[in-house]
Amino acid sequence: MSTTTSTQVAPRTRRPLRLYQIGSHLFISVMLLLSLIPTYLLITWSFKNGLQYRWERWAISFPLRWRNYIAAWDVVGDYMINTIIVAIIGLMGMLLLSLIGGYVFARMDFPFRETLYYAIIALLMVPWVLSFIPAYMVYVRLGLLNTRLAMIIPELAGGPIFGIFLMRAFISGIPEELFESARCDGAGVLDLIGRITLPLSLPGLATLAVLNFIGVWNSFLWPLVMIQDDEKQMIAVGLYKLARSATSGGVPGWTSQDFSVWGPLYAGYVIASLPLVLLFIVLGKFYVEGLVDSGLKV
Amino acid sequence: MTEVTGAAEQSRATDAAVRTLVRSSELSTWQAMRRSWQAYALLAPIFILLIIFNYYPPILGLLRAFYRWRPGVEASFVGLQHFGVYFTSPETGRELLNMFKLLAFFFFSGAVVPFIMAVLIFRIRDTESKELYRLFLIIPMLVPLIVVILLWKQIYDPNLGVINGLLEQVGLGFLALNWLGDTATALYAIMFMGFPWVSGVGTLIYLGGLGQISESIFDACEVDGCTGLRRTLLIDLPLVLGQVRLMTILAVIAGVTSFQTILVLTDGGPGFATMVPGLTMFHKAFRTQQFGYAASIGMILFVITFTATLAVNRTIHPAVEDVRH
Repeated sequence: MSTTTSTQVAPRTRRPLRLYQIGSHLFISVMLLLSLIPTYLLITWSFKNGLQYRWERWAISFPLRWRNYIAAWDVVGDYMINTIIVAIIGLMGMLLLSLIGGYVFARMDFPFRETLYYAIIALLMVPWVLSFIPAYMVYVRLGLLNTRLAMIIPELAGGPIFGIFLMRAFISGIPEELFESARCDGAGVLDLIGRITLPLSLPGLATLAVLNFIGVWNSFLWPLVMIQDDEKQMIAVGLYKLARSATSGGVPGWTSQDFSVWGPLYAGYVIASLPLVLLFIVLGKFYVEGLVDSGLKV
Repeated sequence: MTEVTGAAEQSRATDAAVRTLVRSSELSTWQAMRRSWQAYALLAPIFILLIIFNYYPPILGLLRAFYRWRPGVEASFVGLQHFGVYFTSPETGRELLNMFKLLAFFFFSGAVVPFIMAVLIFRIRDTESKELYRLFLIIPMLVPLIVVILLWKQIYDPNLGVINGLLEQVGLGFLALNWLGDTATALYAIMFMGFPWVSGVGTLIYLGGLGQISESIFDACEVDGCTGLRRTLLIDLPLVLGQVRLMTILAVIAGVTSFQTILVLTDGGPGFATMVPGLTMFHKAFRTQQFGYAASIGMILFVITFTATLAVNRTIHPAVEDVRH
């Protein structure tokens, strides 16, 4: 990348330092290019027909086969719509509960406040392997097997655990005078949450929303065991099953019109990545914060 | 941040905040709780959901680890039988060994490599290329995890995979292997996935940590002639120990609990070559309906992660806060 311009910025730079800077630029660029290879292959393969996939594995083949994308959408589209519906319903509830919880713990004083708060935060320490099997049994018992509700509830119930942690810290940073003056005007708790806290905590909520959307989009094992009907299936499991049928036997509707299933399959992978790309373009800063916060959500 | 702020929530009195605070300490807890009914009412829906879906399952799991258990059948107590069966079964040793190998490797790929990358990017002087590098770090993360795994499965494919394709093109075709299908290579192929392991949350977290270090420390460093590797080990590393600890704990948790990648790439095979306890738990529950046995494996994994997390917390002590700004 721009190895030459960089060192001119600092005039006091000495020669070994400049060499060091050039070396770093080179090393970083190589590492980043290597890590981009799978993404590059994914995109180029998505535009190929069977022969091009076989013989022009590394190059971009022209003309680009947009037909792959049409064939892919026929299969992947429903999974994506399912996932988006589940994610949005779950997100709305999760954000509301996180906002309320964050407000209550940050701005209200009541007996056992810290005890209740730590009772929630302690759940962050429970690893999912411990709950996975019994949670499945609980959901089966409640008749939630093979329902969309089984996809929404984990987000709705589990999302606020980290959400309250994040929103409490966020809402604590809002100056008390704002609440004080609103109380003077006779505002009740719900007004304080809806009219003052909500507009001021949008950045925190955006981070939380992105974090949870990525979580739902990537959720795999839970829908794999909970959802049996293909028409209710979530995107990650949908892609997994699609890849399996593509490698063994073929996908209905693809083999007849195309040389191979590979082009449409990779086109499907690309389509499935687009919501995340879109989210990053629209909410870039919050996307990165959401990613970083996902690390804190141990 | 957690100063007592809104004691006068329902009193709505303009200047009563301080007075209410004083008075509330004189009231009995019960009276104070009655006065705060709004707070409890607001928290009620959250706690109802948490109790059913987040407290109850893990507790149930800990109990049912001692039962024979499957859907639609009354659970029957079997004591420590599941643990006995698990620790005496012939595959268990291999599984645990695989798990510790993965764990050790995830420490390298998840905590060490991102640290090196972050330090290098952090020291780049040109802010524009710094931003560009950050962007390129994020791009691979815009691809869903399942797509990444399925792509790597294709990359390893013995016939159509690009690794064997490349080897043949450079005349090293004799090195071509069925990477995921060979007992000798399968586990290492799983580790190699995601090479060179730089893009990901880790590098971003370390970059955030390095950004918090006060500028004056780096200036003092330069004056004292502490640069390069010395600075990395004596200044950067001690000051991001909090992040190191976090990434180490994440590596431990990933090593012990994440079997999704293995499920998709090899499903534990060939034979039991890439089997890990988490995947056994999954198989026992959803293929042979032994939910009690699976719950007991879940409990073992919980104990391992918990102990390891505590051990990491005891060993790694982040530096004092006043060197940050």
